Amino acid sequence: MTGWKERWQRSQAEVMQRDMLPAWYATRERRRLLAAGAALALALSWVNAVVAWVMGPTEAQRWIVLTLLVVMGLVYLPAVTLMNVATRGVTALAEQQLDERQLGERLRAVALAQRATTTILAALAVVFLVNGMFQGRGHTVPGSAMLYLFLALALTHFVLPLIVSCWRLPDPPPDDDD
Amino acid sequence: MSAEEVYNRIPMLRAERGISRKDLAAALGVHYQTVGYLERGEYSPSLYLALRIAEYFEVPMEVVFSLKPFPRLGSEVK
Repeated sequence: MTGWKERWQRSQAEVMQRDMLPAWYATRERRRLLAAGAALALALSWVNAVVAWVMGPTEAQRWIVLTLLVVMGLVYLPAVTLMNVATRGVTALAEQQLDERQLGERLRAVALAQRATTTILAALAVVFLVNGMFQGRGHTVPGSAMLYLFLALALTHFVLPLIVSCWRLPDPPPDDDD
Repeated sequence: MSAEEVYNRIPMLRAERGISRKDLAAALGVHYQTVGYLERGEYSPSLYLALRIAEYFEVPMEVVFSLKPFPRLGSEVK
């Protein structure tokens, strides 16, 4: 079990050090564009939850949600992969594979992301409270809406530190001496 | 300029001894970009890392790090 875990962590660390499509994250503007792309994908996941809640389980809702999921996946997967490479796995790798600067950067990114998720949780609590007040006791939220809400919340929780880290990343020093 | 800026002579010591950034990073057990950020003054090391850097170059700590900018070479010659 430990051997498998170590092998996985090592291969993950190696992948993060490869310069995959470096032009995509060579400048701060491009890295921020990637971060914005990932943020857009997250926003789509929240839109999905709202659509599922407002429209209920209808055929039109299914198609809208499916389309949004496809668009989200097309933006999310490449953006997250490139952001992980750009940040050299600061938010993805195991702690023992990072040095003190990277650990400090990870802590700052997680702290900033946590502020945002706290605000989101507070906003959600208000939405549920207000909904309960206006709809009465008998009102229920569709199961699919809860599922998409959970998906949006989980994605936000996992990816926000990476987005913050990629957004803050200064230009790395050039490899000038090999 | 940050109030907690720490100046260092890592690029000079590295160039003088012909050590690459990646070699120094490997010897210190840090990412090579961390050495670059240190050299550019964009990251101040922990006391532990600073001591290890001084130990690696076999010089006292104050030769590598300073709270004031290091004088330019030849600036003290009148």
